[in-house]
Amino acid sequence: MKMPIYLQEPPEILITPEGVRTDGRGPHDLRPIKMTVGVLNRADGSAYVEWGGNRILAAVYGPREVHPKHLTLPDRALVRCRYNMAPFSTEERKRPGPDRRSIELSKVIREALLPAIFVDKYPGTVIDIFVEIIRSDAGTRCAGTTAASLALADAGIAMRGLVTALAVGRVGDWIVMDPNHDEDMYGDVDVPVAFLMEDKEITLLQLDGPLTEDEFNEALDLAMKGADLVYEMQKEALRRPYLVVERSVAGRES
Amino acid sequence: MSLLVKNREIVLPGQLLAKGNLKPGENVYVDGRGFLRSSKVGLVDLSRGEVRVIPLRGVYMPKVEDIVVGVVSRVAGNTVLLDINSPYTGVLLLPRSREGRRSGRRRTFSVGDVVLAKVRAFDGASNPLLTVEGEGLGKLSGGTIIKVNPAKVPRIIGKRRSMINLLRDKIGRDIVVGRNGFVWVKVRDLQSSLLLERALRLIERESHVPGLSDRVTDLLEGGIAAELPNSDYREV
Repeated sequence: MKMPIYLQEPPEILITPEGVRTDGRGPHDLRPIKMTVGVLNRADGSAYVEWGGNRILAAVYGPREVHPKHLTLPDRALVRCRYNMAPFSTEERKRPGPDRRSIELSKVIREALLPAIFVDKYPGTVIDIFVEIIRSDAGTRCAGTTAASLALADAGIAMRGLVTALAVGRVGDWIVMDPNHDEDMYGDVDVPVAFLMEDKEITLLQLDGPLTEDEFNEALDLAMKGADLVYEMQKEALRRPYLVVERSVAGRES
Repeated sequence: MSLLVKNREIVLPGQLLAKGNLKPGENVYVDGRGFLRSSKVGLVDLSRGEVRVIPLRGVYMPKVEDIVVGVVSRVAGNTVLLDINSPYTGVLLLPRSREGRRSGRRRTFSVGDVVLAKVRAFDGASNPLLTVEGEGLGKLSGGTIIKVNPAKVPRIIGKRRSMINLLRDKIGRDIVVGRNGFVWVKVRDLQSSLLLERALRLIERESHVPGLSDRVTDLLEGGIAAELPNSDYREV
């Protein structure tokens, strides 16, 4: 996958009248996405996602014993989430440690995933979710949520379904799918959305910038279409390790 | 009867399994419209009108009557705490010393001891209560513990204990499989212990592919020299 080159200056034009974007995509195209599950041996569940220029690791530990003890919920599992950006994940070195932005994203990712988890099956325990941004390129909260949902499923935690997240946005008059770095910085509107795919329940919806009602509906429809595509990739990623074993067994026996 | 997936197919959380009058079994839930969906990554199993999903991964959640292998992590008076490879700590309450003396069996536990116990009570609100009263239960002396994926324990035991009997025949009598994913083993030589570990890893990795016991037999017959793909299945 070729790494897109970013300009220090805002690009002169974000989208041509024909709808060609700065990375050559059409308005309704996703960036290239790759997902792998079970990449960390020490975690109970894990996933690695490449989404455009984003590189994201998600790890899930648990259900396990709660520490500190007083946080224990007697009737259900506690779900904790930490979103963290590596110091080298951005163009300018990011000061390590949680800041206002990553505290917010930890919160929204947790809340986007929580409705999917059957927390009452694991009373008195904790499920810890870690989302580590290794390289960032716009839309990390959505790619992170998507990865974390895979890691939860990989950990064998009981869930209503997978959570799929992606952003849509507006650039000038265009409603675009999956805004890239340029569009995120200099575009007009950014709408991150997460769906619980089982019944398309929306578990995350943020809006940064003005949209008319028609534009909003168009954006949400586009997000739903995009989510369907990402969902297929998630399902393929979860099945892949088992199919690989199946094939290797068949190969050994023939 | 309207199963929407093939029996033994790999399903994912949220996947629609069946509509109609099938009963939801373990790891299956009923959604808002009354359809049956999977809650885990696993294999579908339909038997006697009940759909269940056999999980492929997951931690050990205690169930009453389960036989578990635990490692003593703390002793406080007549309470013994056991690591049972679970989000919960096993609690073993020893009988009052006088009763213990009367039954003629002295039971002392120290940290690090391996104990075969049964889950007597578990309500989710407090830690599971264990007991060592029962045939074959109690301290396991010597030996080592091999940790396996708890979701695969039923495969290690096999239908009507076929797999565990196979392992015992080929490797040694002293193999005890706890429902919690701790396998206790005492063998004479390192070779057997390595062979057992290989067999367990093979079961963990390939249990979802039909013909498992044949492959395990092949491995055990071939001995430690038998070629086995070393790579973890997850390294795709």
